[in-house]
Amino acid sequence: MDIRIQPRGDIAVVAITGSVDGLTAETLLSTLQGHVQAGHARLVVDLDGVDYTSSAGLRALLATVKEARRRGGDLRLARINPNVRKVLELSGFVTILKCFEGVDEAVDSFAP
Amino acid sequence: MRTFRATRLAELPALLDFVDTACAAAGPDAGFAVRLAVEEVFTNVLAHGYGGEGPVDVTIDADTTRIRVLVEDEAPPFHPGDAPPPDLASDALEREPGGLGWHLVRQLMDEVRHAPRDGRGNTCTLVKRLPVAAPQQE
Repeated sequence: MDIRIQPRGDIAVVAITGSVDGLTAETLLSTLQGHVQAGHARLVVDLDGVDYTSSAGLRALLATVKEARRRGGDLRLARINPNVRKVLELSGFVTILKCFEGVDEAVDSFAP
Repeated sequence: MRTFRATRLAELPALLDFVDTACAAAGPDAGFAVRLAVEEVFTNVLAHGYGGEGPVDVTIDADTTRIRVLVEDEAPPFHPGDAPPPDLASDALEREPGGLGWHLVRQLMDEVRHAPRDGRGNTCTLVKRLPVAAPQQE
């Protein structure tokens, strides 16, 4: 798994590539949490390069969105592949996380 | 029929490669479901069965109608059915992350059975039925 973070104004676009599993989710969680705790609480997670996630990945997203919202920000998802979307739907995550077709739409959604 | 033994979380990538290879003929959707179910059962056995590490044998028997997976461990008997159901409805700030793994296993597999093994350990049997192929035209 590879994680790249690019700022877009005060929003961080986090592009993940590879599998988010029980081994790699810890890295994802510490990266996202570290970013939020450093004061960057508005995140767009670009999942175009993610072909697989288990519940470990969902727990990392849940912990981060909680932290981000406590700080007045949010974590939003973009470009979700079909199998990953299925996991999000089965887990009820599509009702708590805002999901967008494209990264630009997700970034724009933060505009007041 | 093929078997892979993994004992530590660090061996998860090798275990998932084994699953991908064993399920390659079944197509990507079934392969994804079995991969996810095996990871969830494996990590559950390590965390709640062994509390760390221990031997887990994963055997996959695939044919054109179904994929059957046996996950056998030597951990003390435990019953994943006793785990509380996951919280799928609360707002994000109240939502607890527990129970999601088993919920996904039950949603993605057609059969999930868990039983103590003779002697020591547990056996988890997972079955994923495959869509029936359309008959070939002559």
